[in-house]
Amino acid sequence: MKVNIIDFKILWYGWNLRQFQLVSFRRFGNLKKEKFVKHMQLTRKEILHDLIRIFRENFEIDNPGMEDDLRKEYEFDSIDAIELLVEIEKMLGFPLTQEEKKQAINIRTFNQICDYIVAMASART
Amino acid sequence: MERRVVITAGSAITPIGHGKDEIIQSLINGVSGVKTLRKDDLLENYIHSKVFGTVDYPIEYDFKRSDRKTMGPVAYYACQVVKEVLEQAGLDNGFISSGRLGVAFGSTHGSPTVQRDIYRNFFGGSRDQFSTVSAVDYLKSMVHTTAVNITKMFGITGRVISSSTACTTSSQSIGFGYEMVKYGLQDAMICGGADEYDTTTVAVFDNLLACSTAFNDTPHLTPRPFEVRRDGLVVGEGGGAVLLEEYQQAKKRGANIIAEIIGFACNNNGGNLILPDVEGTKKTLRLGLKSAKIRADEVDFISAHATGTKMGDVIEAQAIHSIYDNSPYITSLKSYMGHTMGTCGVIEMVLTLYMMEKGFIAPTLNLKEIDKRCAMIRHVTELCESAIRVAAIQNFAFGGVNTSLIMKKI
Repeated sequence: MKVNIIDFKILWYGWNLRQFQLVSFRRFGNLKKEKFVKHMQLTRKEILHDLIRIFRENFEIDNPGMEDDLRKEYEFDSIDAIELLVEIEKMLGFPLTQEEKKQAINIRTFNQICDYIVAMASART
Repeated sequence: MERRVVITAGSAITPIGHGKDEIIQSLINGVSGVKTLRKDDLLENYIHSKVFGTVDYPIEYDFKRSDRKTMGPVAYYACQVVKEVLEQAGLDNGFISSGRLGVAFGSTHGSPTVQRDIYRNFFGGSRDQFSTVSAVDYLKSMVHTTAVNITKMFGITGRVISSSTACTTSSQSIGFGYEMVKYGLQDAMICGGADEYDTTTVAVFDNLLACSTAFNDTPHLTPRPFEVRRDGLVVGEGGGAVLLEEYQQAKKRGANIIAEIIGFACNNNGGNLILPDVEGTKKTLRLGLKSAKIRADEVDFISAHATGTKMGDVIEAQAIHSIYDNSPYITSLKSYMGHTMGTCGVIEMVLTLYMMEKGFIAPTLNLKEIDKRCAMIRHVTELCESAIRVAAIQNFAFGGVNTSLIMKKI
């Protein structure tokens, strides 16, 4: 196969561009992955710590029990749940879809909230 | 069936005090609640008027989080005065949630503070992917936020009327509440209104050249209803509530009956939405008397709407003179606190009830030299001891809405 100099240049630039794209993608992907890993690496303890702060600051609920029914014990209603979802989005660093939010409707306990946050983070990996 | 309707409790948060004792002292001592306009980082630099009827004292709210979360500042005022009214009245919880107690309560436009925060969130340049309208923003800011926060906090299950007709908001609330009880649709109604600190309302009147600007450095000297040097109204804030009950029920349960509402009229000028209309006003006053089934000379005292605008005060004086001649004493209670907008009617009723109870009439503040065009009526220029047996509270609003409420001491 005969390759002239112009074709060679195109091939060379193309190869480099592809390499650049691949490197960039890898870097970007790694960054995103790192972010996810960070979320995934959030231990349940750390999630709980954040949640306790959110509940204290936003809902004036101090240290609820893991299995307390938040609705019955603390009058935590659907309006509060919507407010909490915004805080969870901030915690995760990405917005939740409407469908994902709807999955939270029946959550009643702190434990269930933790499970939900872990599940939402996992869904993005 | 027409039933008698009595007032068995009342309370107000006003620029001249909160509760009966403070307010009476301010009225007796001629204390003004008009102060320098507070900063709001929005409009205060663009408004020519720098005065405001200010509630600048702390109020200790003791509301649960579950109640507070749906309340903007306006609902705080509303729920606090209603709480005080229910405490005064001593209604039992069974009746409160029986469906026979309703609420007629409103504000000029819900909570502008919350609305402002929503707009700031979206148009303030700091929007991020998590910016959103909060789940409670609408509940806090909607026009009927006062009425429904009251029902929620106290478990009231009866009718809800939420008028929002600017300056006649709370007088309509009282009037419509009165009709609810009078015609047997409810046995009792909590009625009133509230409005919070808001510079957008000031800006509206400022734009229309209707706000006072000549006394920016001496806020206590304005507004000056019926006075030659009046230069416009002063916007204010506050809240007020009264409890209306069917007379026999109130008597049976041993309630403290303060006064009886004997008449109410409400109409519209049917024309200009801003300019006062002497014929429309006269018609309202006439209808009020007709509703009360009394003669004009039986009214001892009129709480005039009199905001201190150039034209409005003259039109009102002409209308009063035409219907009442110069028989009743006339005071503009807005001279003490400015125009508290949607809440002015109920605040003026509560203040009149206090004067009725204590046997005095507060003068119109800052009324040094009466405008000749307003001089044909019986102005109160000095504090006087006088028994008020029958009083009329009249209010007029943008949109051409007029109200007249007439009450009698029992």
